[in-house]
Amino acid sequence: MTAAAWSIEQRRAFTLGLAPALVVLAAVTLGPAIYLLVTSLTPLTPVTPGSGLDFSTPLANYTQALFESSFLHSVGLQLELSAITVGLQTLVGLGLALLLNIESRFMEAIRTGFLVPMVLPPIVVAIIWKILYTPGISPLYATLNFFGIPVGSLITDPATALPAIAVADSWEWFPFTLLMVLAALQMMPKEPLEAARIDGAGPFQMFWYVKLPFIRPALTIAVLFRLIDSIKAFPLIYVLTNGGPGLATEVTNYYAFIQTFNFAYWGYGSAIATLMIAGVFLLSLLVARLGGTSAADE
Amino acid sequence: MSSSAAPASRALGLAPARRRVWRWQRHAVHATGASLLFLALLPVLWLVQMSFRPNANILGAGLAFTPTLENYRALAAGGFPASFLHSLLASAGSTFLSLLIGVPAAYALARFPFRSGGQIAMWILVTRMAPPIAFTIPFFLAFTWLGLMDTVSGLVIIYLTFNLAMVIWTMKSFFAAVPRSLEEAAWIDGAGIWQSFLRVTLPLSAPGLAATGILCFIMSWNDFFFALILTRTNAMTAPVAIVNFMQYAGWEWGKIAAAGVVVLLPVLVFTFFVRSYLVRGLMAGGVKE
Repeated sequence: MTAAAWSIEQRRAFTLGLAPALVVLAAVTLGPAIYLLVTSLTPLTPVTPGSGLDFSTPLANYTQALFESSFLHSVGLQLELSAITVGLQTLVGLGLALLLNIESRFMEAIRTGFLVPMVLPPIVVAIIWKILYTPGISPLYATLNFFGIPVGSLITDPATALPAIAVADSWEWFPFTLLMVLAALQMMPKEPLEAARIDGAGPFQMFWYVKLPFIRPALTIAVLFRLIDSIKAFPLIYVLTNGGPGLATEVTNYYAFIQTFNFAYWGYGSAIATLMIAGVFLLSLLVARLGGTSAADE
Repeated sequence: MSSSAAPASRALGLAPARRRVWRWQRHAVHATGASLLFLALLPVLWLVQMSFRPNANILGAGLAFTPTLENYRALAAGGFPASFLHSLLASAGSTFLSLLIGVPAAYALARFPFRSGGQIAMWILVTRMAPPIAFTIPFFLAFTWLGLMDTVSGLVIIYLTFNLAMVIWTMKSFFAAVPRSLEEAAWIDGAGIWQSFLRVTLPLSAPGLAATGILCFIMSWNDFFFALILTRTNAMTAPVAIVNFMQYAGWEWGKIAAAGVVVLLPVLVFTFFVRSYLVRGLMAGGVKE
């Protein structure tokens, strides 16, 4: 076979291998995305026949969202939840990583143990925290009572419900930051650390001037991933508060869920979901730029 | 562990006193790590002890009780085993299908400089990041129309939305790590591209393939949102069945805890085998290998 023929054969064979996946991926992701965009332009609801084909006011759902106080409220709650949970898990994960950064067999076993919260089925995480947050059954409340610190039910108080969910979410996901940072720390060359030690750098200077610059890329990616995933938090809210009390934990994702599947406002729900995809897309572009996956460098 | 520390400190020219401090520090870090891990896992351990608690004493906080399997027996007697089976079928089916379709694509992307490679990478990343609610609305409507509502096949299809992207991304990096020269040798011997892939590259990537398959399985197994919306009774998965235990007036805490343990057990076993690949899998699409 000549080189040219082989090159054509190669292209043909590889295209054949790639095609089925692209077709299926398009069918399960691109197709639904387009469908979502189309329904977001209609007042679709199963209650009214033909509402899915009514394009007379295509932007009605979007303008409604912009003036709907419960939607704007949900966006505010989302920002609050994301800020608390990402901040908390980054601090805990980073702190633990710095503390536990020793290479040994024993630490490897410990590290594997820390994987547990984030691989647990999210519904199990939700049950665990439902137990911890239910007075009368929770060991947490029993302990606090024992020490004479009576605490009201955190998830039924509008003031504490959202932070309580953020704490549970942080417990589930701090290992992600922990493992990312540990992996970065262990790839760090020893020389700069030794040099800084010999120059008399203290632990804080060591962290700020030597370690942090080295782990910053990994930390940034971890934060962005957690930020994007925090927008999708669902089972915790579903089981712990169901969006309540009142609207206290009805973040955007939950708001879209309720509008769509409780009130059957399909078109409106699609519009909210489309806005969420747009937000996630922008954040993903940032991940791609920082992580090195981009259209330009392939 | 101390054996690896000693040569290191010698190489650094540390004095024996310094070396002793070093070793003491290691023990302190190990002890801290172990206690923090215990603290972090305490909520899980609490769930486990609750599942063995007799129902009469389920709300007690003390640890003085005779362990019983009554909660597990109650679980086995009801509809839970069927839900467990649905979870198993949907997860295994989707894993198999994603590997079947995704692995050749990953190999093609790893070996051939497609012009649209960058766009495909971005597409996969956005798929990984997209909120599930965005998929459920169209799938709900399509499934109702196609009669796939409340079926295991429907779940297999919707799990492809995240599994396929994950397989393509992680397997691509595993294949890229296999030296091309091995395949080229097979080509010279007259093997076709896919023949050499099946005989040379794929066997060499077997550990990566197993890890990817397990990750797919875990992600499907852990799904709650899709199953909540797209199944009712015929294909209800285990996580949704647990939540249904919560709907009854008298909360069946013992049964809920036992079901939680049963659902988390397979995940823990699998995680142990893929521990070193796990973070890479979760980051699929975000970092260039």
